[in-house]
Amino acid sequence: MSAKEKVLSVGIDLGTSQSAISTSAGAHHVVDSYVGWPVDMVARKVMKKPVVIGAEALENRTMLDLHRPLEQGLIKEGSEKDLAAVREILSHLIELATEGNRETRTRAVVGVPAETMRVNKQQLRQIMRGMVDSLIIVSEPFAVAYGIEALLHTMIIDVGAGTTDFCVMKGRYPTEEDQRTLTKAGDSVDDLLAKLIDERHPEVQFSIHMVRGWKEQYGFVGEPAQRALVTAPVHGKAQKVDITDAVRAACESLLAPFTETMLDLLAAVEPEYQEKVRQNVMLSGRGSRIHGLAEELEKALVDLGGGKVRLVDDPVFAGANGSLAIALDADEDDWEKVSA
Amino acid sequence: MPGGSSDSLKRRLLAGAVDDNVRAIRNQPRRRLYRRAPFPWLLAAAGAALVAAAALVVVALRSGAPAPAESGAASVATSAPAPEGLPAFVSAPPARVSGRVFPLAVRRIAIDPGHGGGDQGTRTSSGLREKDLTLDLARRLAARLAAAGFEPRLTRDSDQRMLLADRARFANDAGADLFVSIHLNWIEDGRANRGIETFYLGPSDDPEATQLASFENRESGYSLADVRRLLDSIYADLRQEQSRAFALAVQKRLLAAVRAVAPEVRDRGIKSAPFLVLVATDMPAVLAEVACLSNDEEARLLGRDDYRDRIAGALFDGIAAYSRSVAQAEPGSGSDKGVR
Repeated sequence: MSAKEKVLSVGIDLGTSQSAISTSAGAHHVVDSYVGWPVDMVARKVMKKPVVIGAEALENRTMLDLHRPLEQGLIKEGSEKDLAAVREILSHLIELATEGNRETRTRAVVGVPAETMRVNKQQLRQIMRGMVDSLIIVSEPFAVAYGIEALLHTMIIDVGAGTTDFCVMKGRYPTEEDQRTLTKAGDSVDDLLAKLIDERHPEVQFSIHMVRGWKEQYGFVGEPAQRALVTAPVHGKAQKVDITDAVRAACESLLAPFTETMLDLLAAVEPEYQEKVRQNVMLSGRGSRIHGLAEELEKALVDLGGGKVRLVDDPVFAGANGSLAIALDADEDDWEKVSA
Repeated sequence: MPGGSSDSLKRRLLAGAVDDNVRAIRNQPRRRLYRRAPFPWLLAAAGAALVAAAALVVVALRSGAPAPAESGAASVATSAPAPEGLPAFVSAPPARVSGRVFPLAVRRIAIDPGHGGGDQGTRTSSGLREKDLTLDLARRLAARLAAAGFEPRLTRDSDQRMLLADRARFANDAGADLFVSIHLNWIEDGRANRGIETFYLGPSDDPEATQLASFENRESGYSLADVRRLLDSIYADLRQEQSRAFALAVQKRLLAAVRAVAPEVRDRGIKSAPFLVLVATDMPAVLAEVACLSNDEEARLLGRDDYRDRIAGALFDGIAAYSRSVAQAEPGSGSDKGVR
């Protein structure tokens, strides 16, 4: 690299529901992980662009061939469109970060769900070829742990949309045995919530996108902070509907598998460090914002002698910031080895 | 900071992340964690006991007593020469059990018509749907098998949606001896290309095969943990070898039958890939992509009764050939007669 070349380090969190980027220049962007292509000439004229990304794609979904290219923590590989959608999201984030300045040399660390890490690493590398100059791919919980410097005797629970990743940091790069992945996550809560609302209020019309919004606004376990009163059409007329019980049941479906997995991983920690790990359980990811989740998980730790479950400060950017921290700490030799 | 941290710890973690990425670039497996044996003295004692037993056998042989292996009807272990200075049974790795030790008849065949119900599979612009064609082919194959004295069992005999997990469970519960899943391929540049390929259980480095497996596995009904457990337990399995022989038999007959009508059809070969119906079944299993719906000419032919009958006949011939090879297998013959 010549001395004159500018280097931009970026940390990306490629998520099922949202993807975020943080850069060494101080920029932060987040986009919904949706990509849409106008379905016909009319849609193309209305949208005025060949591809639409993020919230705009979601809002205009009736005119678009809409893709959400990550599902259950994996890149959907069934069609070229889904691979293209991943490329569009990443490319869009990089464009936002570099502000179109392609004279800058870009080094990226991408945090992905642990399953993507296991299965789609090669595909992701291919997708990002030409987009950045060097690339390191890490699992999302590792990126979070690195970013908050929770590197030793800590458990990260990263609650995403497609998967929830558990990772115990033992002072080494996490191995398979340090990690667990559950498909009980944001999407599974949405599906259950939709089913429960449909059962209890069959007259209410709603879409999965509305359900997702309601969960994000009212999601809770334990005691509700407020009643979940939502507005939805009933026979075409907007009405208030109380979905508090359905929200609680759907969100609490996470508790049993989370508790079981947390205790299972704790049992695998060497006995003298279990107490330390119990005191350092960190919740990250968008799904961690379900009200009362940390408290309920703490209750599960009581039988083991107690513990502390805390939320990371910025669940939306914790992954991207952690990835950026890795990018900034990697030296020239490291980047040399992972040229894209 | 919740957990401990230091520059050297960060450096070690970063080195682990970079190493993991370099391995991915070089297509090497992830580094595994090797544990020390928990009780080295126990292993030492076991080793000493084995050496003592070896000495007793040598004494017995020299005194004219028959060696245990000589009295067995079928040997299940090969006797590779041992490196100098070590007793043979200590140094030689245990040989895998040969399938030829169990020359049992194939009787019950599970036939799995791919897709069904809301899951249409691929579809041509003229309205031909994969789910209908696979069911038609399965019924034709079942009729032939029944006429020849086999016991066919269809995972679905109507246009119904069925989880991959349920298909595998059906075959296992039925006590099927073989499992054949029928699918139709869609190749992105398939207007020019048409070919036949047959998959058997195993890992894959082929991005196309991985992509196809990922597509077909979309709605498996298995959790990620289930899949990992299944994969871990079967890759070194005898069943993989048998499935390979079965795939060869099917591919060979399919290709011969189809090329008699369409000589330009490509032999895309047999390939290993982790399709979930192959992973979760207990018997030798293949997934045959018997034609390419993306090819206009192939789609036209598939609309004809006689062409579908030809494909069903070829599948029958493949099953019959594999069954004969199993029934006629001679212990220690070292070849799968009638397959290659």
